[in-house]
Amino acid sequence: MDAVLVVALLAPPLVGAALALLVRRAPQAAAWFNAVTMPVSAAAAAAIALRLAAGGAPVIVGNAWRLDALSALLALLVSVVATLAVWLGPGLDRRGETPGAEIRLHRIYANLFACTMLVAVSTSNLGVMWVAIEATTVTSALLIPVRRTKAALDASWKYLFIGSVGIALAFAGTVLAFVDYATTGGDLELALNWTTLRTAAPSLHPEVAQLAFVFLLVGFGTKAGLAPTHTWLPDAHSEAPAPLSAMMSGVLLAVALYAVARWKAIIDVAIGSAFTDTLLLVVGVATIVVGSASLLSQTQYKRVLAYSSIEHMGLACFGLALGRPGVFAALLHLTGHALAKSTAFLLSGRIYDRYRSGEIGTASGLLGTVPATAVLFAATVFALAGLPPFSLFLSEILIVQAAWRAGHAALTALVLVLILLAFASLVTHLQRVLFGEAGRDVSRGEPASVPLALLALPVALLAWIGVTLPEPLRMLLTHAAEVVRP
Amino acid sequence: MTVIVLAVTQCLFLMIAAPALVGYVRWLKARLQGRRGAGMFQPYRDLRKTLAKGMVIADTASWIFHMAPCVVVASTVAAAALVPVISANQAGDQLGDLFALMALLILGTIFLALGGLDPGTAFGGMGSSREMTVAALTEPTLAIAILSLALTAGSTSLGTITNTLLTTPSNAIGPGHALAFAAFLIAMLAETGRLPVDNPATHLELTMIHEAMILEYSGPYLALLEWAAALKLTLLLTLAANLFVPWGMATSDGAGALAVGLAAVLAKIAVLATLLAVLETRVAKLRLFRVPELLAMSFTLALLAATSSFFTR
Amino acid sequence: MDATFSRLTMTGASAMLLLALVVMWRHHVPAYVTAFRMQSVALAFVGAVVAWLGDVPELFLVAALILGLKGWIVPRILAGMEARRPGERELHPLVNTEMSLLISGGLAVAAYEISRPLAAVVSLPTRGGLPIALALILVSLFIVVSRRRVIAQIVGFLMLENGIALLALLGAYGVPLVVELGVFLDVLLGVLVMQALVPGIEEISAG
Repeated sequence: MDAVLVVALLAPPLVGAALALLVRRAPQAAAWFNAVTMPVSAAAAAAIALRLAAGGAPVIVGNAWRLDALSALLALLVSVVATLAVWLGPGLDRRGETPGAEIRLHRIYANLFACTMLVAVSTSNLGVMWVAIEATTVTSALLIPVRRTKAALDASWKYLFIGSVGIALAFAGTVLAFVDYATTGGDLELALNWTTLRTAAPSLHPEVAQLAFVFLLVGFGTKAGLAPTHTWLPDAHSEAPAPLSAMMSGVLLAVALYAVARWKAIIDVAIGSAFTDTLLLVVGVATIVVGSASLLSQTQYKRVLAYSSIEHMGLACFGLALGRPGVFAALLHLTGHALAKSTAFLLSGRIYDRYRSGEIGTASGLLGTVPATAVLFAATVFALAGLPPFSLFLSEILIVQAAWRAGHAALTALVLVLILLAFASLVTHLQRVLFGEAGRDVSRGEPASVPLALLALPVALLAWIGVTLPEPLRMLLTHAAEVVRP
Repeated sequence: MTVIVLAVTQCLFLMIAAPALVGYVRWLKARLQGRRGAGMFQPYRDLRKTLAKGMVIADTASWIFHMAPCVVVASTVAAAALVPVISANQAGDQLGDLFALMALLILGTIFLALGGLDPGTAFGGMGSSREMTVAALTEPTLAIAILSLALTAGSTSLGTITNTLLTTPSNAIGPGHALAFAAFLIAMLAETGRLPVDNPATHLELTMIHEAMILEYSGPYLALLEWAAALKLTLLLTLAANLFVPWGMATSDGAGALAVGLAAVLAKIAVLATLLAVLETRVAKLRLFRVPELLAMSFTLALLAATSSFFTR
Repeated sequence: MDATFSRLTMTGASAMLLLALVVMWRHHVPAYVTAFRMQSVALAFVGAVVAWLGDVPELFLVAALILGLKGWIVPRILAGMEARRPGERELHPLVNTEMSLLISGGLAVAAYEISRPLAAVVSLPTRGGLPIALALILVSLFIVVSRRRVIAQIVGFLMLENGIALLALLGAYGVPLVVELGVFLDVLLGVLVMQALVPGIEEISAG
């Protein structure tokens, strides 16, 4: 049964990519097949998540795959966002504007990208996790310069290079932990399995563990968009096509933070949580500062969303440092952010299609031209700004509460100010986009409404979670938090 | 008694052999360039000729101008007394160690530079400023290169360093030793004014460093300075040979051991001098602003050697 | 036997570090590519020594892969990139040559200090080279951030990977084979993708 679940989780994106690769002449058919099979992955993830929420045992297949509550949460997020991105990807519209080659390219790499992310969260081996995260960099970098502009090429290069250097440092951290484990005389075959390392953690040497965690935080932090190695993020997420941005901003950053959390769970057993908590606090607050402070001066709406991602990742990182309630809040925050950010980027894709410009000044008067999109977009931006009834409000409150209870009064005040600053910036930009006069060459009326209906679902979900934290989700988050902070 | 005799003999040997070494290098370069060469003992004839000539001293020269050759000669001879030449049982150890050697060398360099500045000519000042640029990087490199050996030996006295390496040759295998040797050789090229840092045969003002500083000197002063430069080259080559490749040096006071030691040092210096001549024939002089890059590289090598010695004691 | 093992691996590791310093010193891009190629050969040598004297047969395969991939294929790709669009020499890096070399020396000293706890816990005969591996990692990072030309930055990144592989070899006789193969694949794909992107972005001044 476990093997079936894992195969059902991982196969659809892999098959989708393979089909798009092999079937050259009918990219649209491949796209439709992809759209039909992707929900299978999401369903498998949901089944695993429900089982683990109810307190069931982790899904284990041999020594290679292991999904506990934390993995299940991330797998669910990745598969849901990937399904959304597949449904709103190129090749499914009846008008057939996108060239076949572009559809094919997109379907191949986007599916591989989703598959690598799923592998990263479901594998039991931290070395394989590293390989998968490195593979996410490679598969997504090729998709960014779809439009072949200089800015897109620059953004893709920065993303690829800074990401690769960061990932290499994460590998250095992995190697250091492996070397440390090897000196304790353990079995080297399963040395990088998370459970093995976790059991052997008390015998790891403190200074080596500290050194390893520093490398791991810098390395995976680069992929998560944490300061000071976040510089690739605004360019990459704004130049990429909308479905890719949705996946990158929504879940790839979360997967990178997942990697940090997995290693934190091990290192904390070895040296106590004070060291890693301090590092995560500093990095988290620095990231929030960078994200919030840069929001107001942006002139392109996709860059606004990108900096908002930086701010939210900083908040999640901050939350990870605050004990079990903080981790719970951080994971809830990642959940809400995944839904809100991916929807926001997908909607921004529709806005771009209509206005043909990424500038806020040009893309104004949204309420007049595409009212339904405008309403949904406003809802997602409100969600990202931390307004009730959406779940990000709840998670931000919980993070601040955890920080206050942990005794970091000054930091709590600072974070509150920064959240308010981000809120103000986001609402200002939103207002500029929604109101005002649209250009004369912008047509009115909504394009196809099915995608819009699909995008309304995550927004409704966000509101539902924010108002009533559903019991299965709460249990899943609790168990996941227990994995990181037992 | 024999110790003192040995020490004096070693020093005298270096002093007398210095012009011959320079002559040998010049002769070999000439041969490699297809010329006949002036013979190995030509520098002696040059020195005799120069000593006999009269001196022309600028009106603007002060007492520093007169003192500089004396200080340069004195410091170089004193440094030569510290260098282990034939025997590893160094009497010179009681006179000074690595730091004294470095101090004496830099003393000579400073006074030479001052002597170049003193008459107030443009060439002299230019040569002095260039010399100090080069010396700022070579002196630390030489010191740290020898220091990396001293760290392994546990003492900065030169005799102890050579003795330690003689008794435990396995210390020489490994990166530290080779790195320090390479760094020492590069710094030595710069310190003694050889190619690719400075051309000893040039008199073009734009390319001179050492020649520019001694441009105003004539007669006996010039002879002293030329001889001091030859002595510096000899003592640095001997240091390179005996500190890094000490095998063949005498460890006892027997006549046989001393003879072997003498033959060994002559052979090693001859090999190094040959390599120097070949190098000078092959490379072109570096442009002046590239010289700090080369010297920074040698300094980094020395630093790496010392670091690895320090942490693997 | 242990002493020979230690000395051989330390010599190979030191050669790798010196070749990284060559990137600081020389200005020509072909020199960088040659330095990387030699460094990969040195890494393969260290891998072979560890395989032979440390009795870990699968490292022979790893050493062969290093030689083939990083010693031959990747330098050819890099040389091809440079030949297709020959750029200027790296005359004005963000940090000048002398300071780069001195900072590298300083980073090496820092690496010795940082790796003291690591060298204390590892009991393998190769532990003497661990500080050198860490120094190589730090120096490669410095190369990445201080060069202007993109291909010099790529060489720095590849040297960083070499340094981490050296760390794994010296610290624990290599990582499990699955991870090792994954790393190779990632490096190859990474370089291929970089090669595809570089021609369009050569005008960026800092990465």
